[in-house]
Amino acid sequence: MLEACIFATILCGFFGIILKKNLVMKIISMDVMSTGVIAYYVLVASRDGLFTPIVSTVKNGAYSDPVPQAVILTAIVIGFSIQALMLVGVMKLARDNPTLESNEIEKNNTP
Amino acid sequence: MSTITIAWIAFPFFVGFSIYLLPKLDRYLALGVALVSAGYALQLFAERSPLTLQLLDHFGVTLVVDQLSGYFILTNALVTAAVILYCWHSGKTAFFYAQTIILHGSVNAAFVCSDFLSLYVALEVISIAAFLLIAYPRTDRSIWVALRYLFISNTAMLFYLVGAVLVYQAHHSFAFAGLRGAPPEALALIFLGLLTKGGVFVSGLWLPLTHSESETPVSAMLSGIVVKAGVFPLVRCALVLDEVDPIVRIFGVGTALVGVFYAVFEKDTKRMLAFHTVSQLGFILAAPGVGGFYALTHGMVKSALFLIAGVLPSRNLKELQQKPINTAVWVALVIASFSISGFPLLSGFGAKVLTTKNLMPWQAIGMNLAALGTAISFAKFIFLPHGAAQEKAVKPGFWPAVILLLGGLFAANVVYYEAYTIANILKPLAIIGLGWLAYFLIFQRSVLKLPRVLEQFEHLIGVMSLMLILLFWMVLA
Repeated sequence: MLEACIFATILCGFFGIILKKNLVMKIISMDVMSTGVIAYYVLVASRDGLFTPIVSTVKNGAYSDPVPQAVILTAIVIGFSIQALMLVGVMKLARDNPTLESNEIEKNNTP
Repeated sequence: MSTITIAWIAFPFFVGFSIYLLPKLDRYLALGVALVSAGYALQLFAERSPLTLQLLDHFGVTLVVDQLSGYFILTNALVTAAVILYCWHSGKTAFFYAQTIILHGSVNAAFVCSDFLSLYVALEVISIAAFLLIAYPRTDRSIWVALRYLFISNTAMLFYLVGAVLVYQAHHSFAFAGLRGAPPEALALIFLGLLTKGGVFVSGLWLPLTHSESETPVSAMLSGIVVKAGVFPLVRCALVLDEVDPIVRIFGVGTALVGVFYAVFEKDTKRMLAFHTVSQLGFILAAPGVGGFYALTHGMVKSALFLIAGVLPSRNLKELQQKPINTAVWVALVIASFSISGFPLLSGFGAKVLTTKNLMPWQAIGMNLAALGTAISFAKFIFLPHGAAQEKAVKPGFWPAVILLLGGLFAANVVYYEAYTIANILKPLAIIGLGWLAYFLIFQRSVLKLPRVLEQFEHLIGVMSLMLILLFWMVLA
């Protein structure tokens, strides 16, 4: 069930990239898609249990797997910085193309 | 040796950021990094056994350095050095050199990693550095092209990440070898990411616009080396896993034909070279075992061709046929064109023969057609008029860069000297002759203009989903 929701998020983001006309909306859709991917990593990590693997006095057996969570941290940071870069690019483009419609920009800038 | 490797991986990033602090030394530091990489690569050839570095525990985060990586790293070093020499007197800021070196370092990192996660990080750093380099002129067009590149590669990499976690779920390890027991959708998703990133087959059609609209040194860098960072993991996977090998080979043939088909009809020099890059990536994939040598040859020749195309008086081939070009530039152009068509005495010949020897029987027809297409498309360059017309002198950095690359082509020729048998020499000559004949009879006058529908942004993203279905079907079959 949770898995299906996550895949729905990824697909929503993907179709948003294709179907939305506005460049900012496209970038937000990409972020939705990456949120889905991150959620999937968290889901995979929590297959064996939900407790965080931190040294403490409390005894419990079912730890979640720390590796996917540690790994996805890199992807979050990269995704964030890429998004920041893209928004800067869009800001620059917005000066000459105020509507930011991607097919208009594409028509103006393809030789 | 392992200490040297780690220091060598970190070195470009360290120097890259120092360049920004010491803007006076920018070019010297950048060239120094390229030389260090070249030295490291040459030393890899001396070393026989592959070197494996593994992160503690069993997550499968490994680096593997062997001769295959050696070829790719050497290509990277040569292309970067040539690009820096080309820009030597052009007044580029320290920012440009810093980005070039960071790009160099991240491409190097992609060539040594042997697990999906460090590969992901390397590929994303490449995307960011390439974005900054393409957007360097800060015109509307360059920003749009760069934005499109970053968008497409990031979307592809998101699919790739899902594939990587599926591999982890199956094996609790990220190593390439884990692909074997992983569910088929993992392979499909990961390959979609790598194919798109490497500019292979239909999902690689973002490449022509990006490579032709960037500045001359940047396109040389992108075409010469950056796309190979996406192709290298495919080659590595095909070598590690036998069941992946046929899929990679099919994509190799498909790419070679699609790219060359577009290249034959293209009338714009830089776009033709970019389409041709697509087709040459197919040659690398068609015979994964010997892809390293082909990548070295192609990297040198394609960056030389892009640098030369940058100094031609026009980008339109129709106009170039009216205007004679400088004879010295023409000679360099002809040497590069001959090498890429597989003419003996140049390293393109050895690479083509070596690739042909390692093909499966069913690939042979497709690859020979692609080689014929190469000869046809480069006949356009070889038969340009030339004369001592002195309109504008070439840039001062041009000759050192081109001489380095073309000299590399002659030097790399000796790597595979067993290729020189009568049969091997006659075949490329026949293909070149046939190609020229076809060029004069048919293609010189053709005015067919291929539509660019597939290169629109939305279609590029949409094609990804189609490729996903195709890959999934191939894996299941």
